[in-house]
Amino acid sequence: MAKFANVPVSTADALHKGGLRVSAGTSAIGPIWLASIRDLQWRWRRFLLAALATGLVLGLALMMSGVANSFSVEIHNTVSVLDARWWFVPAGSPGPFTVAAPFPASAAAAVRQVPGVTAADPILVSRALTGGAVGSSSASGVPPSSERDVNVIGVVPGGVGSPRVVEGRPVRQPDSAVVDEGLGVKVGQEIVLNGTRFDVVGLVSGVTYFAGVPVVFVPLGAADHLTVDGEPLATAVLVRGTPVDPVAGFTALTDAQVRSDLGRPTTQAAKTIQLIEFLLWLVAAGIIGAIIYLSALERRADFAVLKAVGTPSSHLFVGLVIQAVLIALGAAIIGALVEIPMSGSSQMAVRLSASDYVAVPVVAVIVGVLASILPARRAARVDPAIAFGGGK
Amino acid sequence: MSLLEVRDLTVEYSSGGYKVRPLSGFHLQMESRELGVLLGASGCGKSTLLSAIAGLLRPHSGSIRVGGTEVVGLGNRELTRYRQTSVGVVFQAFNLIPSLSARENVELICRTAGQSRTTARQRAEHLLELVDLADRMGHRPGAMSGGQQQRVAIARALALDPPVILADEPTAHLDYIQVEGVLKTLRELADAERTVLIATHDERLLPLADRVVELSPRVAPAATAVEHQHLDDGEVLFEQGEPGSLVYSVESGLIQLVRRRDDGSEEVLSEVTPGGYFGELAPMFGLPRSATARATGPSVVTGLPLTHFRSHMRKTAHGA
Repeated sequence: MAKFANVPVSTADALHKGGLRVSAGTSAIGPIWLASIRDLQWRWRRFLLAALATGLVLGLALMMSGVANSFSVEIHNTVSVLDARWWFVPAGSPGPFTVAAPFPASAAAAVRQVPGVTAADPILVSRALTGGAVGSSSASGVPPSSERDVNVIGVVPGGVGSPRVVEGRPVRQPDSAVVDEGLGVKVGQEIVLNGTRFDVVGLVSGVTYFAGVPVVFVPLGAADHLTVDGEPLATAVLVRGTPVDPVAGFTALTDAQVRSDLGRPTTQAAKTIQLIEFLLWLVAAGIIGAIIYLSALERRADFAVLKAVGTPSSHLFVGLVIQAVLIALGAAIIGALVEIPMSGSSQMAVRLSASDYVAVPVVAVIVGVLASILPARRAARVDPAIAFGGGK
Repeated sequence: MSLLEVRDLTVEYSSGGYKVRPLSGFHLQMESRELGVLLGASGCGKSTLLSAIAGLLRPHSGSIRVGGTEVVGLGNRELTRYRQTSVGVVFQAFNLIPSLSARENVELICRTAGQSRTTARQRAEHLLELVDLADRMGHRPGAMSGGQQQRVAIARALALDPPVILADEPTAHLDYIQVEGVLKTLRELADAERTVLIATHDERLLPLADRVVELSPRVAPAATAVEHQHLDDGEVLFEQGEPGSLVYSVESGLIQLVRRRDDGSEEVLSEVTPGGYFGELAPMFGLPRSATARATGPSVVTGLPLTHFRSHMRKTAHGA
């Protein structure tokens, strides 16, 4: 009889038959990891759907983050590319980009005389429309059918404000232009600004403002023709060096003040986008929390059995948190993948760095853990006695 | 020294806001090699007793000793270790983890107790071979018959070689062909160092048993004589939970029927005036008294045996 009469466990110290066995080893977390993974495999369709839904939300959140980033990045790029130490604007003007307060370009000469100034040149900031009807549309990089607003900055060729190009050369001739590559025009092509044709001689990268509107640099005289009927006007004087004395009628702004001025029109938009981003993270947390809550409800009997056979409550808690973390990580990967086509189809600039992509899984894991705490606590508190009674 | 010893065990818990006492002063003694059968109808406390022995339910009072070690009063950590190593449980509905294979269901228990993956796997395979499931180790419960699932559950209960095996209605979900294999396996479990306790209302298990314990509600011996009782103000006629054999009619005064809540307070269910009767359910259905009867002011009641009460009711009906 009794083929079960000799079925010793392998850990010899656990075999004190007839006594209370308290030396079977330390409870390990490994089996809960196994149970969690197997449950994910068992209900893979549901978890995949949850990861996909969460991934789409995270992709959207990532894109929103990229749009919000683009606002500050483009401001930084635009101010930096002009390479000035100080910006002189008419007294009372908040900055050169948001309020047009033209003054004679010759005023730059007075600025140059200030001790400490090593170089100073006027610029004219305005806006224009590309793709106008005048000129050879077949030769134009931007066909008439795709009219687009651009920011125009008139600069003194070779002077302060003449941008560093990433391709081609800076502006020299009156009909030459350097454009942001976001405009989609190549060097050697032509563009039409307010009906005037320009040869694209160089490209700059990432130089946009007012939420992705690309910048076109043209010679100052050409800018005057485009916007102020050829009057020799300017809206700011860019200065290198450290002016010792003030200039009557002008206010000297630092780069930081200019950036602040340039960012003001998009502040509300940036805040709204950040709010949407936050709400999207909440939605992601809601999806993860709901799926873990459902899982905890469905596995109530399983958890009761596991507790009944000696699994500590803390392990059950960790088991569900592990599932939430795995869903969050899966969603983060899906989110990063879907963000690429989503951003590609966006009309607004989306600027994401490697650290943004790294932050997504990290934040997703934190969100997953937080979202799973309540359902996991509920599961861990299950009464093991319900394992009896036959109810599954 | 008995392998399993239960003394004066009382289990009380709350249900719907009221105290329920499914076990009161229960005794049981099991030696090694013994297979005991707890027989009784649903609700008589079989599963409650198993839960208490398994360390899943803290009894109100009494003692449970396994291998000489007192279980009642163990702390949470000790209780967790006790559940792991000293009792193996075979549940009524198998209660296997559906996402795990048969082998993993057994392996999980070994690994929870700290065994290495290799050792746990070898142990699980060995036990599944013993219950004749060598060829089903990789199958999930959903792909197995009820009998096979129950044998996996038995292997799981044996995973850490506990001295006490508890089985709750192990044949409830099995057809007669599957029952045979499971009963044979359970019988073989009771060996020199192990005792097996089965809760069931399936009398087919009785021939296997070394010891049969009938768990039935306490029923009062049937009364035959009419009793007249004079009660002072506040005097208790009977207590909630007591067995009862008489139905009472109120001759004078007022009787209050109150039910004790689990927070210690009392709920007045009704007040019976002269001409009214109460307490008929306990003698009719063999149930304990569901409320306490207490006099409000000096009262006189007549206790009627069930036969007298029925004839009295018939006469009343004809008279009406």
